[in-house]
Amino acid sequence: MAKLVAHMRMVAGVLALAFIIAISAPVSAQQPNMVNPTADAVKEQQLLQQLNTIQGRVTIPDEKSSVLVHPAGREWRQFHTVTLKWIGGISIIGMLVVLVLFYLWRGPMRVRSGYSGINILRFDVLERFVHWLTAVTFVILGITGLNITFGRVLLLPLMGPEAFSAWSEWAKYAHNFLSFGFTLGVLLMFVMWIGRNLPTAADVQWLKQGGGMFDKTNSTHAPAYKFNAGQKILFWIIVFASAAMIVSGFMLLFPFYSGLTVGNMELAEIFHAIVGVLFVALILGHIYLGSVGMEGAFGAMADGNVDLNWAKEHHSLWAKEEIRVDKVKGGAMRPAE
Amino acid sequence: MLIKRTERQTRRSNLAATVGNHADGGLDRRSFLRRSGLVATGLATIGALPLATVRKAEAAGPNMAGATIRKSICTHCSVGCTVIAEVSNGVWVGQEPAWDSPINRGSHCAKGAAVRELVGGERRLKYPMKLTNGQWQRVSWDVAINEIGDKLMAIREKSGSDSVYWLGSAKMTDEGAYLFRKLGAFWGTNNTDHQARICHSTTVTGVANTWGYGAMTNSYTDIRNSKTQMIMGGNPAEAHPVSLQHLLEGAEMNKANVIVVDPRLTRTAAHATEYVRIRPGTDIPVLYGIMWHIIKNGWEDKEFIRQRVYGYEDARKEMEKWSPEEVERVSGVPGAQLARVAKMFATEKPSTLIWCMGQTQHTVGTANVRASCMLLLLTGNVGGPGMGANIFRGHDNVQGATDVGLDIVTLPFYYGLAEPAWKHWSRAWEVDYNYLLGRFDDKKIMETTGIPLTRWFDAVILAKDQVAQKDNVKAMFVQGHASNSITRIPDSLNGLKALELLVVADPHPTTWASLSVQAGRKENMYLLPIASQFECKGSRVASNRAMQWGEQIVKPIFESKDDLEVMYLIAKKCGFADPMFKNIKVDNNLPVAEDILREMNRGSWSTGYCGQSPERIKSHMAHQADFDMLTQRATKGPNKGDYYGLPWPCWGSPEVRHPGTPLLYNTNLAAMDGGGVFRARFGIEREEKRPDGTTVKVSLLADGNASKDSEIKDGYPEFTVGVLKKLGWDKDLTEAELAVITKVNPAAPDTVSWSTDLSGGVQRVALKHGCIPYGNGKARMNAFGLPDPIPVHREPIYTPRLDLVEKYPTLPDAKQFRLPNIGFSVQKAAVERGIAKQFPLILSSGRLVEYEGGGEETRSNKWLAELQQDMFIEINPADAAERGIKDGGWVWVLGTENSSKAKVKALVTERVGKGVAWMPFHFGGWFGGEDLRGNYPAGADPVVLGESANTITSYGYDPATGMQEPKVTLCQIRAA
Amino acid sequence: MARMKFLCDADRCIECNACVTACKNEHEVPWGINRRRVVTLNDGKPGERSISMACMHCTDAPCAAVCPVNCFYTTADSVVLHSKDLCIGCGYCFYACPFGAPQYPKVGNFGSRGKMDKCTFCAGGPEADGSKEEFEKYGANRLAEGKLPLCAEMCSTKSLLAGDSDVIAQIYKERVSRRGYGSGAWGWQTAYRESIAT
Repeated sequence: MAKLVAHMRMVAGVLALAFIIAISAPVSAQQPNMVNPTADAVKEQQLLQQLNTIQGRVTIPDEKSSVLVHPAGREWRQFHTVTLKWIGGISIIGMLVVLVLFYLWRGPMRVRSGYSGINILRFDVLERFVHWLTAVTFVILGITGLNITFGRVLLLPLMGPEAFSAWSEWAKYAHNFLSFGFTLGVLLMFVMWIGRNLPTAADVQWLKQGGGMFDKTNSTHAPAYKFNAGQKILFWIIVFASAAMIVSGFMLLFPFYSGLTVGNMELAEIFHAIVGVLFVALILGHIYLGSVGMEGAFGAMADGNVDLNWAKEHHSLWAKEEIRVDKVKGGAMRPAE
Repeated sequence: MLIKRTERQTRRSNLAATVGNHADGGLDRRSFLRRSGLVATGLATIGALPLATVRKAEAAGPNMAGATIRKSICTHCSVGCTVIAEVSNGVWVGQEPAWDSPINRGSHCAKGAAVRELVGGERRLKYPMKLTNGQWQRVSWDVAINEIGDKLMAIREKSGSDSVYWLGSAKMTDEGAYLFRKLGAFWGTNNTDHQARICHSTTVTGVANTWGYGAMTNSYTDIRNSKTQMIMGGNPAEAHPVSLQHLLEGAEMNKANVIVVDPRLTRTAAHATEYVRIRPGTDIPVLYGIMWHIIKNGWEDKEFIRQRVYGYEDARKEMEKWSPEEVERVSGVPGAQLARVAKMFATEKPSTLIWCMGQTQHTVGTANVRASCMLLLLTGNVGGPGMGANIFRGHDNVQGATDVGLDIVTLPFYYGLAEPAWKHWSRAWEVDYNYLLGRFDDKKIMETTGIPLTRWFDAVILAKDQVAQKDNVKAMFVQGHASNSITRIPDSLNGLKALELLVVADPHPTTWASLSVQAGRKENMYLLPIASQFECKGSRVASNRAMQWGEQIVKPIFESKDDLEVMYLIAKKCGFADPMFKNIKVDNNLPVAEDILREMNRGSWSTGYCGQSPERIKSHMAHQADFDMLTQRATKGPNKGDYYGLPWPCWGSPEVRHPGTPLLYNTNLAAMDGGGVFRARFGIEREEKRPDGTTVKVSLLADGNASKDSEIKDGYPEFTVGVLKKLGWDKDLTEAELAVITKVNPAAPDTVSWSTDLSGGVQRVALKHGCIPYGNGKARMNAFGLPDPIPVHREPIYTPRLDLVEKYPTLPDAKQFRLPNIGFSVQKAAVERGIAKQFPLILSSGRLVEYEGGGEETRSNKWLAELQQDMFIEINPADAAERGIKDGGWVWVLGTENSSKAKVKALVTERVGKGVAWMPFHFGGWFGGEDLRGNYPAGADPVVLGESANTITSYGYDPATGMQEPKVTLCQIRAA
Repeated sequence: MARMKFLCDADRCIECNACVTACKNEHEVPWGINRRRVVTLNDGKPGERSISMACMHCTDAPCAAVCPVNCFYTTADSVVLHSKDLCIGCGYCFYACPFGAPQYPKVGNFGSRGKMDKCTFCAGGPEADGSKEEFEKYGANRLAEGKLPLCAEMCSTKSLLAGDSDVIAQIYKERVSRRGYGSGAWGWQTAYRESIAT
């Protein structure tokens, strides 16, 4: 939209220019016979009403300093100090509340047929490394990110200004530097798992059954390959959310790079913050399902193994594949947990 | 963490509650208001307001403990702002506003507020340097002076004394500039010049030839009285920012008209009430266009013209030629606009005309300023408050350096170069005339004007028979002048290479260094580190002719030396120090500035520098608060009645206590109150030819008009002893005065005049009778003797208007100032070769507020350099679009001569009209797209470098002064 | 207590940059940090106006509100200052500031942008008034010496006014009524939610 406006403005400019050239063709061009610069002086109110920002020319090579008045800073401040706190608070606390209630209502999802004692390798070393690289950096980024928004309210009174500043400064360093680890993790994850996350017919079935999550008897087992439809949705959300976080995050990391304006920076921050808190809330759900929410799931990212029965119940199609290619290891010799 | 603040708050509230009187260093109400920038007029209304900022001064700032306060004058422009320095342990640690100065009232511009950095010295030339096999090598002062002296003497031996060119500076104090001129005289040459040549030489010549003295008639502060301010060819908002305080406040108080006539819609024009855009180089048609409307409507001041103007009828004929149609055809200005301007200027009086280098830097510079003077005379706008030719000079002491004669056409104080002038100065210097004569190659050359600095390289590289002196210029001794402020840089490179000796004495290496290395120079070049003027003491004369004394703020840094010391060392080495410093005490090689000023006082009767003793000037600086800003007059204290800085002419000896002359030619005041009349400089009468072939003698003296309380109510000639005798006033001369007079001219004491009488008796007696020593003449609209006695329009050498060249050609080729001026041939060739098709854009140049002159000094100041980091060219959006040029993109500017080119950034703006481009002239250190940073001695390169505008500027010289033409040439611009 | 404010009379400002170099001079501000700058609007056209801008010391300052570590504080004279010891260089104050006042020693944010620096109204910082530490971190403390900000004191045309709100507003009002025009107290509406009725 903005681009379109800019384009139209350019076209208008070119037309105006052509007009100027046309009328000023003879050398002794007819000049206006009255120019009163003082009477024509620009007025602040008028400029603010027209553009809601006042920009001019400065001689120092700092493009952003050419913005004289940018009242939108006030709106950004409103977002940052009020709106964001509500969005973040509601989404994160809300997610925690939902999870606790869900756990109380549903309890953990059990392996209905009990452990078989036969382990099956669900994630190899590389997959686990990539997962934990992403996960650890995400957690730190999340905490240090939330600190920027909520630390002043929650931690500052407890820690005192000096300690809180010291912590926040380190938190900021961590946030800035670990962003590269996170970026790498997400990229690898994307490359590694994209093949397994393309939609299949089974996903429809899985989704119809709600993944069996709401069956307190644990008897509903929707069919799924290595990743069920829920996980696929998570994957794609993570991919897009991460991309959003990375792009906006790098904008914030390299502020005003190649012509970014303060308005762009504010937008980047708003985007980064909203996606960030929602992302944190989402990942809380993921952590729940990967740990206390589902019996037998954590092992998949711990030593990479899951019990065969767990696999059959939660990822039946994948388990079939695995058995066919005889990747089952350990037999009864290795207990699942 | 913030507990301390809370404590402070409590402490403060207690203070506020208890402090009743605020005398002890706190911020009392009055100083608060002043610090708030309030003009005195608002005080009454503000009185009722609560003022809660009362606070006791607590601990002093970290640097300020025990700091001493020293006062000097800003070294950047001619406004003359006082600089207050805080000095601690020999280090300049802080700058404070100079509230008491009746000129700047605390204010500064970017340069003035950054002068402290000059003595920080990061980029200064720190030691004497010598160019050896193309490399800069550090040498000692002794070695440098010895080698330079030996080489100078060898060149003098071989090629004569005129082969050494002494290029001085408007940045020197009066004492420095005077001594430099004296050095030239004792060396035996008139090749002594300084920046006034390229600044206001045309003003000095044009204006002096109109009414006597070539200086600003009024003052910056007096513009507050104007009802119409017309600024034509000047951009004081950038060149003289503090003057805008007076212009803008004056305009606000009087609801005055502010008319700006300029090719660019300048920062000054932005505050105008009427902006007139003209084609560069058409000032004369526009001025005549205004006068056409005035005489058409009968708005001229008939009584003023009758009493005080000569040659009106001749001038009127020229005015009548410039109908609105012709003016618009030539200049592009609509007739209706000029009709309005004419009405304002002629009827909403007092009106002042302000100009600067927009008028002066032209081949028609002298004619331009003459036409400006004619407009003022026509409307009776000379000689009163709010009127006059307010000519804004450039450097801080360019007025002073001009007055003290650091010039090729005269000895100090406009005495000229003829034998009587030399005799006058040999008496003032107490040296035998024949000694001085013996220093020159011959008597004829001693009385011949020198070579203008604009042509120094022509004097080096032209064939020997083209240079009318014994030999070409072989050596340049440059003390404080940029090379990149001179036009035709590509040609100058040949000169730089050919010189046998080049000495640059300057706080910075300057482009003399970088361009010399570029030109291929390997040897025989020296750089001598000179102290900035803040490291020296002495007097400076601001544009309003007021003299101010600057104290030494800190000692010269590194190995730099005071200007005066270097001159002494050279004179000593060359063997003429004893006669030259006969009456000047020399303290450990440093001549005493006060002694030099006293010597000037003793010889400067012609210009009235005679009353400005060091003691009086210092007292003014010490008691600045006693002076009223609007009238500039002290209302109390030891200097009560004096005008601030004793603006010259300050008649008589210091004991006469003439108060100075704040407004020239002001008949409303008595002589001893600073009154004046037009100077009877051009004789008593002139023989004019009538149409029938007979001749008639016409008086050149004023008609029925004189200054207040004058005993002679009519015109009178300049005073001599003989005139005093005729009037019977010679009885008033004392024995002692008569004795001196007789000594001056034992053969004919009656011819001893107000300007040659070393006793000051003639002046004292004239003043006693209320008369002005220089006589009471008429101002000249017809300045017979000048190349164009009545200005006529002449197209620039390189003009885009080929259709106008035939009707308005430049003057024929001629020999001027020892050199040929082939402007006419160049113009003719340009027309024939169709240069204007190849180079269709007019190129003009001018000032930026952050920089000054050639700019090496200010571009070395990091606080200033940060604000302008790239050389640029302003180009109209239409011209830019035609060439695919984007704002901020690199472009090549191509010049008409020498295939010159410069790589600069484009600034696309409507500030310039279509067909016009503009460049600032302060950049240097690049040449033809090449960065010359490596050519500077290590660590002395300016922070910011860039192409010089004068790489592109071209041929063109004013016939009367040798002024260059940097304001109009042609160019082409291409995206790079 | 006074309510300190800046007011730039654009009809007087000629973009001479004295305020900028005075600031550099007084506080020895390094290259690249521009506590004060002059912006020219409508550059080169009739109606061109220049305005000198620095921290406006806002009422209910946005920078203070968004600072994650709460390093800002307001003095009794309503001058908005900050503690460089607490600042973590996050850059948020710049996003919130309507006037582009906060400056950072480093261009990018990679690692750190360094401690934020801005106009102090020549009132130093939390350290002891006039102390060496205060000067090194924040520059001179003129207010404590009974002086006003040097930028305004040295303004070439007395365009930039600094001082108590009531006083400078009155000065401006008088000017406008005397000369008959005024382009407004630039930034006041945004900074203080009030403007000067002229």
